[in-house]
Amino acid sequence: MKQLLIYISTIVVLAGTASCNKWLELKPQDGLVREDFWKTKEQVAAAVTGIYASMLDNTSGKTLAMPEYLFVWGEARADMVTPGFRISANETDMVNMNILPTNTFANWRTFYETINYCNTVIKLAPNVLNEDNTFTQDMLNRAVGEALTIRGLMYFYLVRTFDQVPLKLEPTLSDNDLSSMAKSPSEDILNQIVSDLKAAENLLPDSYGNSAVDRGRATKYTACAILADTYLWMEKYAECAAECDKVIASGRYGLVSQENSLFNALFWTGNSVESIFELQYDAQKLNPFFNIFASNSRRWGAASHLMEEVYGVDLVNTIPQKDKRGDGMALRAEDGTIWKYIGANDAGTAMRTADQSFAHWIFYRYADILLMKAEAINQLDQPLEASRIVKTIRERATALDFGDAMDSTSKSSMEDFILQERAREFAFEGKRWYDLVRNAKRNNFAGLRYLINAASKSIPPDMQQSAFGKLRDRNSLFMPIYLYELQTNKLLVQNPFYK
Amino acid sequence: MTKKLFYTMALICGVFAACTKTTLKQSTTEDVNIVGYLRQHPDSFSLFEKVLVRAGYSDFLNAYGAYTCFVPTNSAVQLWLSKIKASNVEAADISTLQDMVKFHLLNDTLTTASFKDGKLPVPTMYGQFLVTGVAAGERGSSYLINRQGAVTRSNVRVGNGMIHVIDQVLEPAKQSIAEELAAKPEYSIFVEAMKATGYYDLLNTVNPDTSKRWMTVIAESNKALADSGIFSFADLKARYSHTGNPAGANDSLHMYMAYHILSGIKFLGDIITSPSHQTLQPQEVISTQLINQNVVVNENVFNGVLEKGMTIDRAGSDNAATNGVWHSIQAHYQVKYRKPTAVYWDVATFEEILKLPAIYRKSSKDFVRQSEADQPLKDITWGWGALAGTNVLTYYYGPTVSIGQYCNYQDAIKMPLGLPNRPTYLELRTPPIVKGKYKIWICYSARNQSTSSQQLCEVYVNGTLMPRTFNFVVKRPTGTAAELEAIGYKQYTENSASQMVGRLVGTYEFTTTDRQVIRINPINGTQNDNYLDMIHFIPVDENQIFPRFKPDGTQIFQ
Repeated sequence: MKQLLIYISTIVVLAGTASCNKWLELKPQDGLVREDFWKTKEQVAAAVTGIYASMLDNTSGKTLAMPEYLFVWGEARADMVTPGFRISANETDMVNMNILPTNTFANWRTFYETINYCNTVIKLAPNVLNEDNTFTQDMLNRAVGEALTIRGLMYFYLVRTFDQVPLKLEPTLSDNDLSSMAKSPSEDILNQIVSDLKAAENLLPDSYGNSAVDRGRATKYTACAILADTYLWMEKYAECAAECDKVIASGRYGLVSQENSLFNALFWTGNSVESIFELQYDAQKLNPFFNIFASNSRRWGAASHLMEEVYGVDLVNTIPQKDKRGDGMALRAEDGTIWKYIGANDAGTAMRTADQSFAHWIFYRYADILLMKAEAINQLDQPLEASRIVKTIRERATALDFGDAMDSTSKSSMEDFILQERAREFAFEGKRWYDLVRNAKRNNFAGLRYLINAASKSIPPDMQQSAFGKLRDRNSLFMPIYLYELQTNKLLVQNPFYK
Repeated sequence: MTKKLFYTMALICGVFAACTKTTLKQSTTEDVNIVGYLRQHPDSFSLFEKVLVRAGYSDFLNAYGAYTCFVPTNSAVQLWLSKIKASNVEAADISTLQDMVKFHLLNDTLTTASFKDGKLPVPTMYGQFLVTGVAAGERGSSYLINRQGAVTRSNVRVGNGMIHVIDQVLEPAKQSIAEELAAKPEYSIFVEAMKATGYYDLLNTVNPDTSKRWMTVIAESNKALADSGIFSFADLKARYSHTGNPAGANDSLHMYMAYHILSGIKFLGDIITSPSHQTLQPQEVISTQLINQNVVVNENVFNGVLEKGMTIDRAGSDNAATNGVWHSIQAHYQVKYRKPTAVYWDVATFEEILKLPAIYRKSSKDFVRQSEADQPLKDITWGWGALAGTNVLTYYYGPTVSIGQYCNYQDAIKMPLGLPNRPTYLELRTPPIVKGKYKIWICYSARNQSTSSQQLCEVYVNGTLMPRTFNFVVKRPTGTAAELEAIGYKQYTENSASQMVGRLVGTYEFTTTDRQVIRINPINGTQNDNYLDMIHFIPVDENQIFPRFKPDGTQIFQ
C-alpha cells in the first residue's frame, strides 16, 4: 500500500517535470508577441499590408466591412439610392433621418481598427532600422507614409461623418494602453489630417513601378488627392487647386477615353488609368456588395428619378443618345439595379455571380481630381475655367444636355452644376452625401437647399416635413455616437442633436 | 450505532454551517420603470410624479407594461397649474389631472423613429391622437409634440416603456371640428354651408364609437371661395343649390359639402400616403399627391388633359379637434361630374418601359422577377410561378413577325401563365377610369406555344369575376362585325387577321373614378406565349366595334 503510493507520486512528479521543460515560458505557443515582431523589413511590409487588408473586410467579426459603411454613410441619407426589400431597420432610419444612437451604422469601430494598425506602424517601424540592416530609410519612409495616408483618410471619413471624434494618434498595443478619450474639435482633426498628409506626400514615392500596385497602395498622389478633398471640405480653395494640379501635372493619370467602355475600364476590370486609389478585391477576397445589390436580396437600389432627372433620357433621336455614366454603368435603368459593383457588362444584360463579386471600391479617381479642382477654382471666382473642366468630363461621358444649361458666367449656377455633375459621375461611389453637405455648409449654410431638395426626393412624403426641420440643425448632418462607445468611454459626449 | 449518530450529527452541523444567510439577488435587472425613473430625477420630474400619484396612476405605471410617456418637466407642469388656476398639484381637480396624464400616455413603446409628419400610430389613453413634427429653433431642431411641447430628451428606455421629456404640458383639443371652424371668421361661408346642408351637427358630435368618431374636413376659406367668384353664402347657394334645399342629398350644395369631408382621421402625413380618399359623397374620391413638397388635391390626367389641382395650405392644416382634424385648402373645388369615357388601354405602355427609350417601341425586353418578394414593375404583378424561370414579363416588340406586326404600336406584353409551374395570375392596374358602366374587351394576339396548348382564363375586375372567359390560343371566329359582337368577339385592329382577337369578358360598373385592378386568372392549360396587347373599357351605350387600331397606333372609326 505504502509502496504503491510512493510509486504513483514519483511517476506524477516525473511526468510533470518532463513534459513541462518550458514551464516558466509565458509566451503564447500559437502566435507572435510584439517582442518577437518588428525585427525585419519583411515584418514591416507585412504590417503595412495588414493596414490595407483591414480595410477589405472586418477583422473582428463584430462589424461590417469598411466599404459597406462607406456606401451607407455616403449614400443612404442622400438622393441617389432607394431602399430595397431586404433593407434593415437601421438603414431605413438613416434614409428617413431618424438615426438613433443604437443604429449599428453609427459604429465607428472598423475605422479605429484600421487607425490602430496605422498608429502601430508609425510608432514601431522606425525602430526596425536598428534591428535589420537591410531595412533602409527609404523603406521606412514608405511604410510610415502609407500609414499616415491611410490614417488621414480614415479620420477624414470620421470627421465628415461624426464631426467630432477622439483623435487617437498613439497605438493601442496592450491592455495598459486602454483609456478613455474625449472628442477633439473637428478643426483639430482636420489640421491633423493636413499635417499627416503633407508629411506623407514627402515620404511616399511617385510610383511603385507597377500600375496595379500604384492603385492599390498609397502613393504620393494618393496623399495629394485626399489632401485636395480635405482642403475642399475646409474651404481652402487655393490649396485644394494646388494639390489637384500636382496630380494633374504628374502625368500618371488620365480619363478613360471616350471610345472605351467606361464601365469595363473602371469597374469590371478595375485599376484603370483613371484610378488613383482603390481597394483591391479579387477572387480570393470578395467585396460585401453582392447581397446588397443583387435583386433577390436587394438592400439598396438606384433611385427611380435618376434616368429622367439626373442622366436624362433622349426621346428625340432614333438611336437614343446615352450618358455613358447612366444606364449600363451606374445603374441598370430597367430595374434600378446599382450596376457599378454587380454588373458584368455595360449592356446591362450580364451580372456578376456571387464568386465574381470583386469590383474594386474606388476612393479617388482622376475625374474626381478634375471636378474637385473645378469646384475649388469656381469658388475662387473662375467659373469659366471651371466650366471648361466640367466640359471635359461631360464630353468624355457623352452627357446629354437637358434641364438648366451650364452657365459659365455665374459662380452660383456653376456651383450647382458641378454638384449635379458629381452626382452623375460618382453615383453610388459613396460621395453624394458628403458632396451635398460640403456644398450646403459653404458660407454659413447658404446652400441648405441642396440638402432639402435631396431629402424631398428620398424621404417618404409622410416624413419629409420633419426631415426638413431636422436638416436645419447643423448637428443633424452628423451621425450620433454609438451607444456602446458612450457606455464604455465615459469621456464621450453625445452629439447634442441626439438628445 | 454511536458512530452512525456521530456521522448524522456531523452532517446536520455541516448543513447548518453552510446555511449562513447569503444574500441572493432576486431581481434580474436594475432597470427602473417609468415612475421609478421620475423618482430618480426629482429635480426635473417631481411635479409630474405628484400628478401621477394624485391621479392614481403611479401604481400601474410602475408595473409591467409597454407604454410611451411624454413627461413634462417641473417648470412645464408649474406653468400648466397656473393656467388651470391651481396653486399646486394637491389643489387641482382629480379628473383634470387624470385627463392630463391620459393625454401624455400611449399604449405602445414608440421611439422617435416612428414620429412622422402627422399623428402617432396609436391614440393616447385620453382618446385623441398626438401629432408630431420637427421645429428648427435657435438651439437646434427638436421634435414638437402636438405643436405644443418640444422634446428635450428623447428615447429614454425604462423597464416598462419609453420616456420622452417635453418642455410643455400637452393639452387636448376641446372643440369639435364644427366648433373650431365656426370660431374662425375667415371660414364663415363654409360654416354657413355646413349648417345649411346639415353637416354641422355631424361635425359637432363626438361619436362614442371610436370606429365612427373620426372625420377629416378640408375647409375652404372665404378667400379661397372669393378667388372663384364666391363672395357670400348666397353666391355659393346660387351657384350650386339647384333644388333650393341644400339639406337634400340630391342638392349639389349638399354634395359640395359631402365632398369636403373624409371619414377617418387623416393628417397631411396620412393624406399623402394614399393616392385617393373616399369622401362622404357616395362613390366620389379625391385624389391626392405630393408635388414639389405641396399636398395637391385632384390633380389628374384625363384623356391626355392635365387638370390642375388645388394645394392644401400646410401652415393652416393639421388642426386637431375632438372628433377629427381639419385642413385648409387654397382654392375652391367641387365634385366633377364626368361622363363615362372609353379607355383604350395599351397594356404594353407601362412606366418602366417608358424609361427605356432605346427599347420602347424599338425592341423586346425581359423583365425578370428574381424572387417572390421582388417587384420590378409598379403597376403589373403576377402570382409567383413555381418554376422560377417562368417569372418573366416580356415587353414584346415584333414589327416583322405575325404575332406583333398588327398589334397596336406593334407591341404587346408576353406573360407565361398557368398551373402547375407558371405564374398563377397576372394583375394590372388600369389608368384612371371614370365611374360608370363599361364593357370590357381583352385584346390579344392568339398564339399556340405547341399545337396542344390551351390557356383558358377568367378575368376579375376589382375582385369581381366576369361572366365570360377567354382563351389566349383561340382565334377570332368568322362573321360580320354584328354577328361577332353578338357572340362576344370583335376585330380590334385594322388588319383582319383572325389571330387579332378582341374578346368581351363582361360588363362592369365602376363605382368610383379611380385606377382599377384587372386580374387574369388561368383556369385551364398553361403556356408561355400569351400576348396581351390592349384592354378596352367602353361605356355600354357607345359603339363597341370602333375605333380599330392601326399598327402605328392611329385609330380608325369606320
